[in-house]
Amino acid sequence: MTKLLRLAGLAVALVISLLFAVFVGDQGPWYFAWVIGTVMIILISGAGAIMLDAQSNLSSDEEI
Amino acid sequence: MEFIDPNVVDLSRFQFALTALYHFMFVPLTLGLTFMLAAMETVYVVTGRQIYKDMAQFWGKLFGINFAIGVATGITMEFEFGTNWSMYSHFFGDMFGTPLAIEGLMAFFMESTFVGLMFFGWDRLSKQAHLAITYLVALGSNLSALWILIANAGMNMPEGAHFDPETMRMQFESFVNLVFNPDAQAKFVHTSVAGYVSAAMFVMGISAFYLLRGQHRQFAARSFRMAALFGIISTVAVITLGDVLGRLDYEKQPTKIAAIEGLWHTSKPPFEPWILAALPDDAKQENHFEVGVPLVLTPLITHTFDQPITGMHELEDAAGPRIRAGIEAVSALRRYGVTHSDADLTLFTQHEQDMGYGLLAARHAPNQDVTNIPEDQIDAVVKATQPDILPNVFVTFWSFRFMVFLSLWFFALFAISAYVSLKRRLEHNKLLLKLCMWSIPLPILATEFGWITAEAGRQPWTVFGWLPTFLSASSHGVSYMVFSLIGFVLLYSVFIAAELYLMFKFARLGPEHDSMEPHAQLHAPKPSAFDMHPTAP
Repeated sequence: MTKLLRLAGLAVALVISLLFAVFVGDQGPWYFAWVIGTVMIILISGAGAIMLDAQSNLSSDEEI
Repeated sequence: MEFIDPNVVDLSRFQFALTALYHFMFVPLTLGLTFMLAAMETVYVVTGRQIYKDMAQFWGKLFGINFAIGVATGITMEFEFGTNWSMYSHFFGDMFGTPLAIEGLMAFFMESTFVGLMFFGWDRLSKQAHLAITYLVALGSNLSALWILIANAGMNMPEGAHFDPETMRMQFESFVNLVFNPDAQAKFVHTSVAGYVSAAMFVMGISAFYLLRGQHRQFAARSFRMAALFGIISTVAVITLGDVLGRLDYEKQPTKIAAIEGLWHTSKPPFEPWILAALPDDAKQENHFEVGVPLVLTPLITHTFDQPITGMHELEDAAGPRIRAGIEAVSALRRYGVTHSDADLTLFTQHEQDMGYGLLAARHAPNQDVTNIPEDQIDAVVKATQPDILPNVFVTFWSFRFMVFLSLWFFALFAISAYVSLKRRLEHNKLLLKLCMWSIPLPILATEFGWITAEAGRQPWTVFGWLPTFLSASSHGVSYMVFSLIGFVLLYSVFIAAELYLMFKFARLGPEHDSMEPHAQLHAPKPSAFDMHPTAP
C-alpha cells in the first residue's frame, strides 16, 4: 500500500512537472531555462565533489 | 503639474541609488549561496559523508550573517518608493505594488520562515526533510528576486498596463503579461545567475585561503571544486542572458543600447567596431577617442550582419515628432480633465503613446507648462527637449564595460580553477589560489555595475517612455533629503562594517569539525550550526 501511494505521488509530481514544462516553457522560456539550468548546476557541482571522493579513493597520494 | 526642486530630485535619485547599491552588496551572495548549500547538502544526503554536512553548516553560517544584513538593508528601500517617489507611486503603483506585495507575502515570508528551520533543524529533522527545507530557502530567496525584477522590468518595459485618462495613472491590465514580460524573464535569470557567480567566487576564494595556509585541506578542496564547477556554468549562463538582455534593449530601449555602446551615429554594418574603450563626452555628444574591435558590434547586438543600430543623434532626431505629438497629448488630456469631451479624448488617444515625451518637454516650456506653449516657440521647446531623451552616456558606457570585463575575468578564473581542481593540482598553483582569494569582492562589483548600467541607461524615465524622472519625486525640502541621506550612509556603513567583521571572523575560524579523513563518520549529536567551537588547525 505504501509503495502504491508513493508511486501515485510520483505520478502526480510527474504530471505537474510536465504541465509546468509545457506552460512555462511556452510562455516563459527563460524561466524554464532557469529551473533546468539551476538543477543542472547543482547536479554538476555535486558530481564534481563525489568525483573528488572517488579520485581520493583511487590514488594513494595526498594531492588535492 | 507640480514641479519639484531639481536638487531634491537629484538627492532622491542619489539616495535611492545608494540604498539600492548597498542592499545589492548582500543580495547576490544570498541568491547563490542558498543553492550552493543545497548542492552541498544534496551530496551529504546522497553519500552520507560527514564532511559535506560540515560544508553545508559552515557555509550556511556565513550565509546567515549575509542574509540578516541583506534583509535589514532591503526593507528601507520599499518605504523609499512611498516617501521619496510619491508621484511615481501614484502613477505606476498598480503595476509596481503588485509584484512587491507578492514578493513580501510569498517569497520573503517563505525564505524567512524556512531559514530558521534550516539553521536550527539539523538535529531535529530527518536528512531528507532538512534538505527539502534548504531547497525551499533557496527557492524563496530567488523568488524574492523574481518579483522584484518583475517590478523593475515593468519600469523598463511597461507591459500589462495601460494609461487611464480618468484616473491619470497606469492601470493594471494583465497579470500574465506582467509576469511573462520578456525583460523580466531575461533580467531575473541574468541577476539570479550573477548571484550564483558571486557565491561561487566567495566559496572558492575562502577555500583558496585555507589551501594556501594548509588548513582544512579536504574540506577546502571539496568546497573549491564544487564552487569552481558551480561558477563556470553560472558564468556562461550570465554571459548568455546578458546577450539576451542586450538584444531586448536593442528592440525596446534603443537609447540605452546606443549609450551602452557609445554609438553617437547609426552603425554601418557589418564593419562597425565594438568599442573596447572610449571617452564619451555628453556635453559635446561625441567620443574623444575610441579603441574598438571591427566586425563585432553588429552580430553582437542584432544577431545579424546587416541590421544597423540606431545612433544617439538619429534617436534625438526621431524623438522630435514624438515630443511634438506628446505636447498635443498632454494638452488634450489637460482639457479632457475639465471638459470630458469626446473630441479631446479622441485627440489624446491618438497621441497617447507619446504622452511621456510631452511631459519631458515641460522643463523647457514657458512657465514649465506644455499646454500653453505659443505656436512660435514650439520648435524651440522641441529642439531643447531632444537631447533630454538620452541617458548619461559616460556612466552607462563605462559601467557596462566594467561589468563585461569582470565577467570575462570570472570565466577565465573559473575555467582554469575547475581544470586545476579536476587535475588535483590545486596546491601546486599558489598564484591561482591567491587570484581566487583576491577576486572574492569582484562579482559584487560586477553586479553593482550591472545595476548602474540598467538603471542609468533607463534615464530620463522612471517608467520608460511614460513618466520622466524629474516628475516622479516627492516634494521634500533639500535639508530633509540631506539629513536622511547622511542617516542612511552612516547606518549602512555600520551594517557593512559588521558584515565584514563577522565574515572575516568566522571565515578565519573555519569549519567546526575538521574531518581530515573525508570518510569519517561523526555520529555524535552536535549543537546547532551557530555554536562555534573551532578546532585548532
